[in-house]
Amino acid sequence: MLRLAPALVLLPALSSAAVLPHSTDLGFEIFGLPISNTILTTWVIAALIIIGVRLTVGTPQLIPGKGQAAVEGMAQGLRDTLEPIVGKKMIGKTFPILCGFFVFILFMNWSGLLPGVGTIKYAQPGVGMPIVPGGDPTINWLEAVRPANTDLNTTLALSVLSFGFWTYFVLRYAGIKALAYDLFGNKSDKKEIGMTMWVLLSFIFLAVGGIEVVSILFRLVSLSFRLYGNVFGGENLIHALANIVPIIIPTAGAMLEVLVGLIQAFVFTLLSAVYIGLICNHEGGHDEEHAH
Amino acid sequence: MILAQITGSLPAAVGCFAAAFGVAMIGAKAVESVGRNPEASGKILVQSILGMALAEAVAFYAIFLT
Repeated sequence: MLRLAPALVLLPALSSAAVLPHSTDLGFEIFGLPISNTILTTWVIAALIIIGVRLTVGTPQLIPGKGQAAVEGMAQGLRDTLEPIVGKKMIGKTFPILCGFFVFILFMNWSGLLPGVGTIKYAQPGVGMPIVPGGDPTINWLEAVRPANTDLNTTLALSVLSFGFWTYFVLRYAGIKALAYDLFGNKSDKKEIGMTMWVLLSFIFLAVGGIEVVSILFRLVSLSFRLYGNVFGGENLIHALANIVPIIIPTAGAMLEVLVGLIQAFVFTLLSAVYIGLICNHEGGHDEEHAH
Repeated sequence: MILAQITGSLPAAVGCFAAAFGVAMIGAKAVESVGRNPEASGKILVQSILGMALAEAVAFYAIFLT
């Protein structure tokens, strides 16, 4: 076991302690900003994404090469899925940010599966959990590299971004009038139900609008908690499985996490698209067919 | 004498159970509707993932907000 230790550090097997629920500062600052382990991972993975896409696509050409065709194919697939949700008019404007969300979250989720992420640790004096059973209890082992989405700060930033872009797109392309009508406006037919009933219904629609506003603000909480909960739970699952059985079994958890990472990235993108589409997309299924 | 004891957060347990039940019902209905109309599987996949995501959020509210 001792002879194998340097190689095993890269596997999740030796991390007996469970994942901390929050990120930790690495102890150095850039421009007075303390750098935490999740920020470090975010920057490294983001740089890898940029370099990877640059290397595969190169300079975009009219007749795509192999790499460009592959990247374009994937982007087109995502676009075809999102188009009926945000609408034909909006897809061109919203696709860059939605695709950005998808790629960023997908690779941040999958970064937890890389060897070393979550298992490379550094020692800090203090009372903590020993890294192996029976280890020195006076040393606190903290993760040096930690997947970005296991930090509530990252996911909250993502959902604030999503909310900001939602506000921009709605105000820019639907207008504040359409938004107010969608939330508070009386959608009943005045001729059909009579004037008295219409006035009474207005109050109900106003109250429903109030509830709607609260639920819109709660999207910030639900988007960030959903991503954080899933990714953090998955990371914990892999570590706990590795703790019970060091080999083979954690692979099952890792396979599950590949799927969960993809689905959560897709869910975040899809929900952002749906929120924009709810206000901006007023083309029904029938109108689209007639338009051809 | 204590024969049995429940520890941990009961609201979180109930919330997680409800969320899992909701996700399971959406999954069952999605499978059923794909069986009825296999051509609509793409649309059903998107809708059911959305529904599952919204049902799942209940679990996180129960865990984090209580």
